[in-house]
Amino acid sequence: MRFRFFIGVLMLASAGAALAQDVRVTKAGGDKASVDFSGLSVSADGPARVFAQVLRADLLRSGWFTASAPGRGEIRLLGSLGGGSGLEARVEALNTATGRRIFGKSYSVSAAEARRLAHVVADEIVQAATGRPGFAASRLALIGRRGGAKELFVCDADGANLVQVTRDNSISLYPRWSPDRSRIVYTSYVKRFPDVLMIELATGARTRIAGYPGLNAGGALSPDGRFSALVLSRDGNPEIYVKRLADGALTRVTNTPRAAEASPSWSPDGTQLVYVSDVSGRPQLYIVGRDGGAPRRLTLRGSENVAPDWGPGGKIAHATRVGSAFQLSITDPATGETVPLALDAADWEDPSWARNGRHLAAIRRDARGSAVYLVDSMGDAPLPLLTEGDWFSPAWSP
Amino acid sequence: MSSPRWWSIVALALAVGVAASGCRSRRGSGSGTDLAGTNIVTDPGGAFGADIGMGDERLEGELANVKFEPVYFDYDSSQVKTSERAKIEAVADYLRANAAKKLIIEGHCDERGSAEYNLALGERRALAVRSYLVGLGIDAARMQTSSFGEERPAAQGTGEAVWRLNRRAEFVVLQ
Repeated sequence: MRFRFFIGVLMLASAGAALAQDVRVTKAGGDKASVDFSGLSVSADGPARVFAQVLRADLLRSGWFTASAPGRGEIRLLGSLGGGSGLEARVEALNTATGRRIFGKSYSVSAAEARRLAHVVADEIVQAATGRPGFAASRLALIGRRGGAKELFVCDADGANLVQVTRDNSISLYPRWSPDRSRIVYTSYVKRFPDVLMIELATGARTRIAGYPGLNAGGALSPDGRFSALVLSRDGNPEIYVKRLADGALTRVTNTPRAAEASPSWSPDGTQLVYVSDVSGRPQLYIVGRDGGAPRRLTLRGSENVAPDWGPGGKIAHATRVGSAFQLSITDPATGETVPLALDAADWEDPSWARNGRHLAAIRRDARGSAVYLVDSMGDAPLPLLTEGDWFSPAWSP
Repeated sequence: MSSPRWWSIVALALAVGVAASGCRSRRGSGSGTDLAGTNIVTDPGGAFGADIGMGDERLEGELANVKFEPVYFDYDSSQVKTSERAKIEAVADYLRANAAKKLIIEGHCDERGSAEYNLALGERRALAVRSYLVGLGIDAARMQTSSFGEERPAAQGTGEAVWRLNRRAEFVVLQ
């Protein structure tokens, strides 16, 4: 009852707006629009069924929707799915109160593409209904333990389609995506020393971004893809540098002779970096201009703050030490305000923002092992993505 | 050895000793340098020679068949402890007697803390040992560092009995 009223108000308020929103966008994760999926059920096995199941799962995972009983949803999904050896799909989403068609599109793909198409359609429906981007079609890069080695993997945003990218029988660490998603930058011990490499996913071709004497780590690429933010100790101490990839020109950004720096992450506009420094005695977060200058300390609470990720919404997710474990927090660099995420008492680390600026991938570590979880900054319960085996440092693609 | 040279070596050892023991104690006294007004520099030139560059090329060579004892560190610290200095002096003695050998100092951490930060902390430990060796008269160009962070523990498990064995620097000699 209350939801229909709100939908009605929203429709009135947005009448005439070019991008009307049919879902309330609120601060609390609990407020969701109910979706009637009964018009999308497919009984026979095959690509149509895969499509319908994945589409439903993606929409529920998006955080904006719940499933209603048949005939009772605020939004009704209709699908005409079929096709011989491939998949022909026509999908529509209707606002049941007004009858307005939020979304309607037809597709024709091969059978093998059914799953991928469902992710694309889910994101299109999320965008049309909420005005926000979806993350269903994005991918996760992560590190997985394989015997005594750590290798680079990639999987879909729902944890499916896991692909092993490196087979070095060595240690790979800290993947970061290129802005166009074609390459991953990571730290590798394949030469027995820590180097920063870039691998092109389509071909497997690798180039070395940094292989100086001493430590080479970090490597996060700037939003325009032209620069890499690195941790190098070539001058005698671990410091932050920015390297221009086209010609290798190196700019030193920090200068702390008795302190260590780590984990540089770019601001969405590419003008600043957030990073970890122990110059105060324990690791905390600092922000500095990408060309250097006077840094400012960002985190004031918690004995340690590490693993920052500056997300598309402008907020910085990071891990904060609470007692003997880490918990996840989100700090707004504009106000300095820090909000801890309410999670269970396990060890939570390595947050990475999804492209919707709402969800995070993170590592939850307990006595059993180290798993990848989907975490919601708006308060929905975390969902496991990969729990078989030990996983580390997830990086969510743009 | 003539007197002036002896004193200059002692003075250098003292200066580097001060730098290596630096300000990384957990009590934090003296470690809090205010960053306001720090400008970028493109060459290191740290005070007390604390930043000793490592050149442009990696040291290479076959592994030499010689083992040294690891140097252990306190939690969150890269300070060389007095109790550990004899181990580093043994390495210095060997390097003086074997002038063609090169040294890689590996830095390691226990499992606590963020893995990315532990790469940098492990590197600080390796660099602290390297600085100490420079102070003992070993040519910096013969020595480089390699940090493994928390990735290569010497002992598996949890708790201080294990952690203290993992907070270490190890010596790898190259032909």
